[in-house]
Amino acid sequence: MTAFNPWESYKKLFYRWEATTATYLEQVLRNPLVLQPAGGMLTAVMKVKAATNKARTSWWGNMGLPTKHDQERTLHKLNQLESRLMDLEEKLAERS
Amino acid sequence: MLQNLSRLVTRAVTTSPPEVGQTPADVVHQENKWRLLRYRARKEGLVFETPILLVPSLINRHYVLDLMPGKSFVEWLVERGHDVYIIDWGTPTDEDRYLTFDDICDRYLGRALRVTNRLAGSEQAHVLGYCLGGTLTAIYAAAHESEGIASLLTLAAPIDFSDDGMLGAWTRVPSFDVSTLVAATGNVSWRLMQTAFHLLRPTMNLAKAVGVIDRAWDDRFLDGFFALETWSNDNVSFPGACYERYIQGLYRDNLLIQDRFSLSGRMARLSQITCPTMVVSFAHDMIVPEKSAKALHERIGATDRVHLHLPGGHVGAVVSRKASKGLWPQLAGFWEARDHLGRNEEATPEEQASEPGLRPHREKATDGLGVSA
Repeated sequence: MTAFNPWESYKKLFYRWEATTATYLEQVLRNPLVLQPAGGMLTAVMKVKAATNKARTSWWGNMGLPTKHDQERTLHKLNQLESRLMDLEEKLAERS
Repeated sequence: MLQNLSRLVTRAVTTSPPEVGQTPADVVHQENKWRLLRYRARKEGLVFETPILLVPSLINRHYVLDLMPGKSFVEWLVERGHDVYIIDWGTPTDEDRYLTFDDICDRYLGRALRVTNRLAGSEQAHVLGYCLGGTLTAIYAAAHESEGIASLLTLAAPIDFSDDGMLGAWTRVPSFDVSTLVAATGNVSWRLMQTAFHLLRPTMNLAKAVGVIDRAWDDRFLDGFFALETWSNDNVSFPGACYERYIQGLYRDNLLIQDRFSLSGRMARLSQITCPTMVVSFAHDMIVPEKSAKALHERIGATDRVHLHLPGGHVGAVVSRKASKGLWPQLAGFWEARDHLGRNEEATPEEQASEPGLRPHREKATDGLGVSA
Protein backbone atom coordinates (compact mmCIF):
# COMPACT_ATOMS: atom_id res chain seq x y z
CA MET A 1 0.00 0.00 0.00
CA THR A 2 1.46 3.35 -1.00
CA ALA A 3 1.45 6.31 1.36
CA PHE A 4 -0.90 9.19 0.62
CA ASN A 5 1.00 12.02 -1.02
CA PRO A 6 -0.95 15.30 -0.90
CA TRP A 7 1.24 16.97 -3.55
CA GLU A 8 0.69 14.15 -6.04
CA SER A 9 -3.07 14.27 -5.38
CA TYR A 10 -3.06 18.03 -5.79
CA LYS A 11 -1.19 17.74 -9.09
CA LYS A 12 -3.68 15.23 -10.47
CA LEU A 13 -6.58 17.47 -9.58
CA PHE A 14 -4.79 20.57 -10.84
CA TYR A 15 -3.95 19.13 -14.25
CA ARG A 16 -7.53 17.90 -14.64
CA TRP A 17 -8.81 21.38 -13.77
CA GLU A 18 -6.22 23.02 -16.07
CA ALA A 19 -7.18 20.90 -19.08
CA THR A 20 -10.90 21.51 -18.58
CA THR A 21 -10.46 25.24 -18.00
CA ALA A 22 -8.16 25.64 -21.00
CA THR A 23 -10.68 23.89 -23.26
CA TYR A 24 -13.50 26.04 -21.93
CA LEU A 25 -11.51 29.28 -22.31
CA GLU A 26 -10.55 28.32 -25.85
CA GLN A 27 -14.23 28.00 -26.73
CA VAL A 28 -14.92 31.38 -25.14
CA LEU A 29 -12.00 33.06 -26.90
CA ARG A 30 -13.09 31.67 -30.28
CA ASN A 31 -16.69 32.72 -29.88
CA PRO A 32 -17.70 35.49 -32.31
CA LEU A 33 -19.93 36.91 -29.56
CA VAL A 34 -16.75 37.60 -27.59
CA LEU A 35 -14.36 38.36 -30.45
CA GLN A 36 -16.55 40.83 -32.32
CA PRO A 37 -17.01 43.28 -29.41
CA ALA A 38 -13.40 42.76 -28.25
CA GLY A 39 -12.12 43.63 -31.74
CA GLY A 40 -14.45 46.60 -31.89
CA MET A 41 -13.27 47.83 -28.49
CA LEU A 42 -9.60 47.54 -29.45
CA THR A 43 -10.27 49.42 -32.69
CA ALA A 44 -12.20 52.15 -30.85
CA VAL A 45 -9.39 52.63 -28.32
CA MET A 46 -6.88 52.80 -31.16
CA LYS A 47 -9.01 55.33 -33.05
CA VAL A 48 -9.04 57.58 -29.98
CA LYS A 49 -5.29 57.17 -29.59
CA ALA A 50 -4.70 57.98 -33.28
CA ALA A 51 -6.97 61.05 -33.09
CA THR A 52 -5.22 62.27 -29.94
CA ASN A 53 -1.81 61.81 -31.57
CA LYS A 54 -3.01 63.67 -34.66
CA ALA A 55 -4.38 66.60 -32.65
CA ARG A 56 -1.19 66.88 -30.61
CA THR A 57 0.96 66.65 -33.73
CA SER A 58 -0.98 69.30 -35.65
CA TRP A 59 -0.82 71.69 -32.67
CA TRP A 60 2.95 71.19 -32.51
CA GLY A 61 3.31 71.42 -36.30
CA ASN A 62 1.29 74.64 -36.47
CA MET A 63 3.97 76.30 -34.36
CA GLY A 64 6.42 75.44 -37.15
CA LEU A 65 8.18 72.77 -35.11
CA PRO A 66 9.16 69.36 -36.45
CA THR A 67 6.79 66.73 -35.19
CA LYS A 68 7.66 63.23 -33.99
CA HIS A 69 6.36 61.89 -37.30
CA ASP A 70 8.57 64.33 -39.24
CA GLN A 71 11.59 63.05 -37.36
CA GLU A 72 10.54 59.43 -37.83
CA ARG A 73 10.11 59.96 -41.56
CA THR A 74 13.52 61.66 -41.83
CA LEU A 75 15.29 58.90 -39.92
CA HIS A 76 13.52 56.28 -42.00
CA LYS A 77 14.65 58.01 -45.21
CA LEU A 78 18.23 58.06 -43.91
CA ASN A 79 18.03 54.35 -43.18
CA GLN A 80 16.66 53.75 -46.67
CA LEU A 81 19.47 55.80 -48.14
CA GLU A 82 22.01 53.70 -46.25
CA SER A 83 20.40 50.55 -47.65
CA ARG A 84 20.45 51.91 -51.20
CA LEU A 85 24.16 52.72 -50.82
CA MET A 86 24.75 49.14 -49.73
CA ASP A 87 22.84 47.96 -52.82
CA LEU A 88 25.13 50.07 -54.98
CA GLU A 89 28.23 48.76 -53.23
CA GLU A 90 27.08 45.22 -53.90
CA LYS A 91 26.50 46.00 -57.59
CA LEU A 92 29.91 47.63 -57.89
CA ALA A 93 31.55 44.64 -56.20
CA GLU A 94 29.79 42.30 -58.64
CA ARG A 95 31.10 44.24 -61.64
CA SER A 96 34.67 44.61 -60.42
CA MET B 1 7.30 19.60 -2.44
CA LEU B 2 8.04 22.26 0.20
CA GLN B 3 11.74 21.54 -0.20
CA ASN B 4 11.43 22.02 -3.96
CA LEU B 5 9.50 25.23 -3.48
CA SER B 6 12.06 26.71 -1.08
CA ARG B 7 14.85 25.64 -3.42
CA LEU B 8 13.11 27.34 -6.33
CA VAL B 9 12.55 30.57 -4.40
CA THR B 10 16.15 30.62 -3.13
CA ARG B 11 17.41 30.02 -6.63
CA ALA B 12 15.22 32.75 -8.12
CA VAL B 13 16.27 35.28 -5.47
CA THR B 14 19.97 34.54 -5.14
CA THR B 15 21.03 33.59 -8.65
CA SER B 16 21.31 36.14 -11.44
CA PRO B 17 19.49 35.41 -14.70
CA PRO B 18 21.30 32.85 -16.86
CA GLU B 19 23.63 33.99 -19.60
CA VAL B 20 22.02 33.35 -22.96
CA GLY B 21 23.40 33.37 -26.51
CA GLN B 22 26.92 32.43 -25.41
CA THR B 23 28.38 30.85 -28.55
CA PRO B 24 31.14 33.19 -29.77
CA ALA B 25 30.20 35.11 -32.90
CA ASP B 26 31.31 38.11 -34.95
CA VAL B 27 29.07 40.75 -36.47
CA VAL B 28 29.77 40.54 -40.19
CA HIS B 29 27.09 42.90 -41.43
CA GLN B 30 24.98 45.62 -39.89
CA GLU B 31 22.18 47.61 -41.48
CA ASN B 32 19.55 49.71 -39.74
CA LYS B 33 18.78 47.64 -36.60
CA TRP B 34 19.53 44.16 -37.92
CA ARG B 35 22.86 42.38 -37.82
CA LEU B 36 24.25 39.26 -39.40
CA LEU B 37 26.31 37.18 -36.99
CA ARG B 38 28.80 34.55 -38.00
CA TYR B 39 29.65 31.99 -35.35
CA ARG B 40 33.32 31.25 -34.88
CA ALA B 41 34.23 27.84 -36.22
CA ARG B 42 35.52 25.13 -33.92
CA LYS B 43 39.31 24.94 -33.53
CA GLU B 44 39.61 21.91 -35.80
CA GLY B 45 38.07 23.89 -38.68
CA LEU B 46 35.04 23.40 -40.87
CA VAL B 47 33.90 20.04 -42.15
CA PHE B 48 31.08 21.12 -44.41
CA GLU B 49 31.27 23.38 -47.47
CA THR B 50 27.82 24.92 -47.54
CA PRO B 51 27.12 27.62 -44.96
CA ILE B 52 23.93 27.65 -42.94
CA LEU B 53 21.89 30.83 -42.55
CA LEU B 54 19.43 30.81 -39.64
CA VAL B 55 16.47 33.19 -39.87
CA PRO B 56 14.54 33.57 -36.61
CA SER B 57 11.14 35.16 -36.17
CA LEU B 58 10.93 38.94 -36.39
CA ILE B 59 9.29 39.25 -33.00
CA ASN B 60 11.56 37.01 -30.94
CA ARG B 61 15.24 37.22 -30.14
CA HIS B 62 17.58 35.18 -32.27
CA TYR B 63 19.24 33.51 -29.28
CA VAL B 64 16.42 30.99 -28.95
CA LEU B 65 18.60 28.96 -31.33
CA ASP B 66 21.62 29.58 -29.10
CA LEU B 67 19.93 29.44 -25.73
CA MET B 68 22.74 28.33 -23.41
CA PRO B 69 25.74 26.00 -23.48
CA GLY B 70 24.48 22.44 -23.84
CA LYS B 71 21.07 23.62 -25.03
CA SER B 72 22.14 25.49 -28.11
CA PHE B 73 21.36 24.36 -31.65
CA VAL B 74 23.99 26.77 -32.95
CA GLU B 75 26.70 25.46 -30.61
CA TRP B 76 25.80 21.91 -31.62
CA LEU B 77 26.07 22.75 -35.34
CA VAL B 78 29.38 24.58 -34.89
CA GLU B 79 30.76 21.56 -33.01
CA ARG B 80 29.84 19.34 -35.98
CA GLY B 81 31.89 21.58 -38.29
CA HIS B 82 29.26 23.81 -39.90
CA ASP B 83 29.76 27.45 -40.88
CA VAL B 84 26.75 29.05 -39.16
CA TYR B 85 25.26 32.53 -39.65
CA ILE B 86 22.22 34.01 -37.97
CA ILE B 87 20.14 37.12 -38.43
CA ASP B 88 19.60 39.21 -35.30
CA TRP B 89 16.67 41.42 -36.27
CA GLY B 90 17.46 43.85 -33.46
CA THR B 91 14.97 46.17 -31.81
CA PRO B 92 12.93 48.42 -34.09
CA THR B 93 12.63 52.01 -32.95
CA ASP B 94 9.89 54.53 -33.75
CA GLU B 95 11.09 55.37 -37.28
CA ASP B 96 10.89 51.70 -38.24
CA ARG B 97 7.11 51.94 -38.32
CA TYR B 98 7.56 52.66 -42.04
CA LEU B 99 9.60 49.50 -42.70
CA THR B 100 7.66 47.43 -45.19
CA PHE B 101 7.37 43.69 -45.62
CA ASP B 102 9.43 44.08 -48.82
CA ASP B 103 12.21 45.91 -46.95
CA ILE B 104 12.56 43.09 -44.45
CA CYS B 105 11.79 40.02 -46.52
CA ASP B 106 13.48 41.07 -49.75
CA ARG B 107 16.11 43.71 -49.06
CA TYR B 108 17.33 42.60 -45.61
CA LEU B 109 16.93 38.84 -45.97
CA GLY B 110 18.33 38.95 -49.50
CA ARG B 111 21.36 40.87 -48.30
CA ALA B 112 21.91 38.46 -45.41
CA LEU B 113 21.91 35.56 -47.87
CA ARG B 114 24.30 37.26 -50.28
CA VAL B 115 26.71 38.29 -47.50
CA THR B 116 26.63 34.74 -46.12
CA ASN B 117 27.48 33.26 -49.52
CA ARG B 118 30.18 35.83 -50.18
CA LEU B 119 31.91 35.38 -46.83
CA ALA B 120 31.69 31.60 -47.01
CA GLY B 121 32.96 31.59 -50.61
CA SER B 122 29.90 29.59 -51.53
CA GLU B 123 27.39 29.76 -54.37
CA GLN B 124 24.48 28.85 -52.16
CA ALA B 125 23.59 28.52 -48.49
CA HIS B 126 21.30 26.24 -46.57
CA VAL B 127 18.57 28.48 -45.17
CA LEU B 128 16.57 27.66 -42.04
CA GLY B 129 13.58 29.79 -41.11
CA TYR B 130 11.96 29.40 -37.72
CA CYS B 131 8.31 30.44 -37.22
CA LEU B 132 7.73 33.77 -39.00
CA GLY B 133 11.35 33.52 -40.17
CA GLY B 134 10.25 30.40 -42.08
CA THR B 135 7.43 32.30 -43.74
CA LEU B 136 9.88 35.03 -44.77
CA THR B 137 12.39 32.54 -46.18
CA ALA B 138 9.69 30.65 -48.09
CA ILE B 139 8.39 33.89 -49.62
CA TYR B 140 11.92 34.99 -50.51
CA ALA B 141 12.75 31.60 -52.06
CA ALA B 142 9.49 31.64 -54.04
CA ALA B 143 9.96 35.18 -55.34
CA HIS B 144 13.61 34.59 -56.28
CA GLU B 145 13.17 31.04 -57.60
CA SER B 146 15.51 29.68 -54.87
CA GLU B 147 18.43 31.79 -56.11
CA GLY B 148 21.40 31.51 -53.74
CA ILE B 149 19.63 28.86 -51.65
CA ALA B 150 21.07 25.34 -51.52
CA SER B 151 18.17 24.06 -49.44
CA LEU B 152 15.26 25.49 -47.52
CA LEU B 153 14.25 24.25 -44.10
CA THR B 154 11.21 25.68 -42.35
CA LEU B 155 10.61 25.02 -38.66
CA ALA B 156 7.03 25.58 -37.50
CA ALA B 157 6.47 28.20 -40.18
CA PRO B 158 2.92 29.30 -41.07
CA ILE B 159 2.23 29.11 -44.82
CA ASP B 160 -1.49 28.39 -45.18
CA PHE B 161 -3.30 30.90 -43.00
CA SER B 162 -6.75 29.43 -43.54
CA ASP B 163 -6.21 27.10 -40.57
CA ASP B 164 -8.57 27.13 -37.62
CA GLY B 165 -5.89 28.21 -35.14
CA MET B 166 -6.70 30.80 -32.49
CA LEU B 167 -4.40 33.46 -33.94
CA GLY B 168 -6.09 33.13 -37.32
CA ALA B 169 -9.51 33.42 -35.71
CA TRP B 170 -8.51 36.59 -33.84
CA THR B 171 -6.89 38.38 -36.75
CA ARG B 172 -9.87 37.69 -39.01
CA VAL B 173 -12.42 39.33 -36.70
CA PRO B 174 -14.10 41.94 -38.97
CA SER B 175 -14.30 44.56 -36.21
CA PHE B 176 -10.51 44.46 -35.72
CA ASP B 177 -9.04 47.17 -37.95
CA VAL B 178 -5.34 46.53 -38.43
CA SER B 179 -4.71 49.90 -40.17
CA THR B 180 -6.11 51.79 -37.19
CA LEU B 181 -3.94 49.78 -34.83
CA VAL B 182 -0.81 50.60 -36.84
CA ALA B 183 -1.79 54.26 -37.25
CA ALA B 184 -2.19 54.57 -33.49
CA THR B 185 0.82 52.61 -32.27
CA GLY B 186 3.38 52.82 -35.08
CA ASN B 187 5.27 49.63 -34.34
CA VAL B 188 2.94 47.04 -32.88
CA SER B 189 3.96 46.62 -29.27
CA TRP B 190 5.45 43.32 -28.14
CA ARG B 191 3.24 43.59 -25.05
CA LEU B 192 0.13 43.36 -27.20
CA MET B 193 1.51 40.33 -29.03
CA GLN B 194 2.70 38.67 -25.84
CA THR B 195 -0.77 39.10 -24.35
CA ALA B 196 -2.21 37.41 -27.42
CA PHE B 197 0.23 34.50 -27.07
CA HIS B 198 -0.67 34.13 -23.38
CA LEU B 199 -4.34 34.05 -24.29
CA LEU B 200 -3.73 31.03 -26.53
CA ARG B 201 -3.74 29.04 -23.29
CA PRO B 202 -4.39 31.36 -20.35
CA THR B 203 -3.78 28.60 -17.79
CA MET B 204 -0.34 27.83 -19.20
CA ASN B 205 1.58 29.91 -16.64
CA LEU B 206 -0.11 28.11 -13.75
CA ALA B 207 0.67 24.74 -15.29
CA LYS B 208 4.24 25.88 -15.84
CA ALA B 209 4.50 26.88 -12.15
CA VAL B 210 3.32 23.47 -10.96
CA GLY B 211 5.70 21.75 -13.37
CA VAL B 212 8.68 23.77 -12.25
CA ILE B 213 8.00 23.20 -8.53
CA ASP B 214 7.85 19.51 -9.28
CA ARG B 215 11.29 19.51 -10.89
CA ALA B 216 13.00 22.18 -8.80
CA TRP B 217 15.44 19.58 -7.44
CA ASP B 218 17.03 19.37 -10.90
CA ASP B 219 19.59 22.16 -11.41
CA ARG B 220 19.99 21.47 -15.12
CA PHE B 221 16.25 21.70 -15.60
CA LEU B 222 16.14 25.00 -13.67
CA ASP B 223 19.00 26.44 -15.74
CA GLY B 224 17.08 25.67 -18.92
CA PHE B 225 13.81 26.89 -17.48
CA PHE B 226 15.18 30.27 -16.43
CA ALA B 227 17.03 30.69 -19.74
CA LEU B 228 13.84 29.99 -21.67
CA GLU B 229 11.87 32.37 -19.45
CA THR B 230 14.50 35.06 -20.08
CA TRP B 231 14.03 34.55 -23.80
CA SER B 232 10.24 34.39 -23.75
CA ASN B 233 10.04 37.68 -21.85
CA ASP B 234 12.51 39.43 -24.14
CA ASN B 235 10.34 40.20 -27.15
CA VAL B 236 10.48 42.69 -29.97
CA SER B 237 7.82 44.98 -31.39
CA PHE B 238 6.67 44.43 -34.97
CA PRO B 239 7.45 47.21 -37.51
CA GLY B 240 4.06 48.79 -38.25
CA ALA B 241 3.87 48.78 -42.07
CA CYS B 242 5.27 45.24 -42.18
CA TYR B 243 2.73 44.05 -39.60
CA GLU B 244 -0.15 45.53 -41.58
CA ARG B 245 0.85 43.66 -44.74
CA TYR B 246 1.53 40.47 -42.79
CA ILE B 247 -1.91 40.45 -41.18
CA GLN B 248 -3.83 41.71 -44.19
CA GLY B 249 -2.02 39.84 -46.95
CA LEU B 250 -1.32 36.60 -45.18
CA TYR B 251 -3.61 36.05 -42.18
CA ARG B 252 -6.69 37.66 -43.70
CA ASP B 253 -6.39 37.29 -47.47
CA ASN B 254 -4.17 34.18 -47.36
CA LEU B 255 -2.49 35.32 -50.59
CA LEU B 256 0.65 33.18 -50.34
CA ILE B 257 -1.08 29.85 -50.70
CA GLN B 258 -3.08 31.20 -53.65
CA ASP B 259 0.13 32.33 -55.43
CA ARG B 260 -1.09 35.93 -55.25
CA PHE B 261 1.45 37.34 -52.79
CA SER B 262 4.09 39.62 -54.28
CA LEU B 263 7.48 40.62 -52.94
CA SER B 264 8.95 43.85 -54.32
CA GLY B 265 6.80 43.42 -57.43
CA ARG B 266 7.74 39.75 -58.02
CA MET B 267 5.09 37.10 -57.57
CA ALA B 268 6.00 34.67 -54.81
CA ARG B 269 4.70 31.41 -56.31
CA LEU B 270 5.44 28.48 -54.05
CA SER B 271 5.83 26.22 -57.09
CA GLN B 272 8.94 28.26 -57.90
CA ILE B 273 10.71 26.82 -54.88
CA THR B 274 12.78 24.13 -56.53
CA CYS B 275 15.61 23.69 -54.04
CA PRO B 276 15.56 20.69 -51.67
CA THR B 277 13.13 21.51 -48.91
CA MET B 278 12.37 20.17 -45.47
CA VAL B 279 9.22 21.22 -43.65
CA VAL B 280 8.98 20.58 -39.92
CA SER B 281 5.75 20.83 -37.93
CA PHE B 282 4.99 19.97 -34.31
CA ALA B 283 2.04 18.03 -32.95
CA HIS B 284 1.38 20.31 -29.96
CA ASP B 285 2.10 23.62 -31.65
CA MET B 286 -0.66 26.06 -30.63
CA ILE B 287 0.78 28.88 -32.73
CA VAL B 288 1.32 27.12 -36.06
CA PRO B 289 -0.96 24.10 -36.64
CA GLU B 290 0.35 21.24 -38.76
CA LYS B 291 -1.96 22.08 -41.65
CA SER B 292 -0.56 25.59 -41.90
CA ALA B 293 3.09 24.49 -41.93
CA LYS B 294 2.62 21.39 -44.08
CA ALA B 295 1.10 23.39 -46.94
CA LEU B 296 4.60 24.36 -48.08
CA HIS B 297 5.52 20.71 -48.59
CA GLU B 298 2.43 20.20 -50.74
CA ARG B 299 2.79 23.28 -52.92
CA ILE B 300 6.47 23.63 -53.78
CA GLY B 301 7.99 22.62 -57.09
CA ALA B 302 10.94 20.79 -55.54
CA THR B 303 11.11 17.04 -56.08
CA ASP B 304 13.53 16.63 -53.19
CA ARG B 305 11.23 17.43 -50.26
CA VAL B 306 10.66 16.07 -46.80
CA HIS B 307 7.97 16.66 -44.19
CA LEU B 308 8.69 15.87 -40.57
CA HIS B 309 5.87 15.92 -38.07
CA LEU B 310 7.24 15.55 -34.57
CA PRO B 311 5.85 15.56 -31.06
CA GLY B 312 6.35 18.72 -29.00
CA GLY B 313 5.36 22.36 -28.96
CA HIS B 314 6.37 25.44 -30.91
CA VAL B 315 9.43 26.25 -28.79
CA GLY B 316 10.01 23.23 -26.54
CA ALA B 317 10.52 20.85 -29.44
CA VAL B 318 13.31 23.04 -30.83
CA VAL B 319 15.28 23.89 -27.70
CA SER B 320 14.67 21.02 -25.29
CA ARG B 321 17.30 18.48 -24.28
CA LYS B 322 15.37 15.93 -26.33
CA ALA B 323 15.85 18.07 -29.45
CA SER B 324 19.60 17.47 -29.40
CA LYS B 325 18.96 13.75 -29.84
CA GLY B 326 15.87 13.88 -32.04
CA LEU B 327 15.25 17.01 -34.07
CA TRP B 328 18.75 18.48 -34.47
CA PRO B 329 20.40 15.35 -35.94
CA GLN B 330 17.57 15.11 -38.48
CA LEU B 331 18.05 18.72 -39.56
CA ALA B 332 21.82 18.37 -39.75
CA GLY B 333 21.46 15.07 -41.63
CA PHE B 334 19.30 16.82 -44.24
CA TRP B 335 21.98 19.48 -44.79
CA GLU B 336 24.94 17.15 -44.64
CA ALA B 337 23.49 14.89 -47.32
CA ARG B 338 23.23 17.96 -49.58
CA ASP B 339 26.50 19.62 -48.66
CA HIS B 340 27.82 19.64 -52.23
CA LEU B 341 25.04 22.01 -53.35
CA GLY B 342 26.77 25.16 -52.16
CA ARG B 343 30.10 24.34 -53.81
CA ASN B 344 31.66 27.25 -55.62
CA GLU B 345 32.81 25.81 -58.96
CA GLU B 346 34.67 29.03 -59.69
CA ALA B 347 36.76 28.83 -56.53
CA THR B 348 40.47 29.56 -56.95
CA PRO B 349 42.87 26.59 -57.04
CA GLU B 350 44.04 27.50 -53.52
CA GLU B 351 40.50 27.40 -52.26
CA GLN B 352 39.78 24.14 -54.09
CA ALA B 353 42.93 22.54 -52.69
CA SER B 354 41.63 23.04 -49.21
CA GLU B 355 38.15 21.75 -50.01
CA PRO B 356 38.14 18.05 -49.21
CA GLY B 357 37.95 17.47 -45.52
CA LEU B 358 38.68 20.45 -43.37
CA ARG B 359 38.67 23.96 -44.77
CA PRO B 360 40.51 26.59 -42.78
CA HIS B 361 38.20 29.09 -41.19
CA ARG B 362 38.69 32.75 -41.84
CA GLU B 363 39.43 34.12 -38.41
CA LYS B 364 38.38 37.58 -39.48
CA ALA B 365 35.94 38.22 -42.29
CA THR B 366 37.65 40.47 -44.83
CA ASP B 367 34.74 42.82 -45.22
CA GLY B 368 33.02 42.14 -41.94
CA LEU B 369 32.85 44.62 -39.16
CA GLY B 370 34.86 42.34 -36.95
CA VAL B 371 32.85 43.31 -33.91
CA SER B 372 32.37 40.66 -31.31
CA ALA B 373 28.70 39.92 -30.73
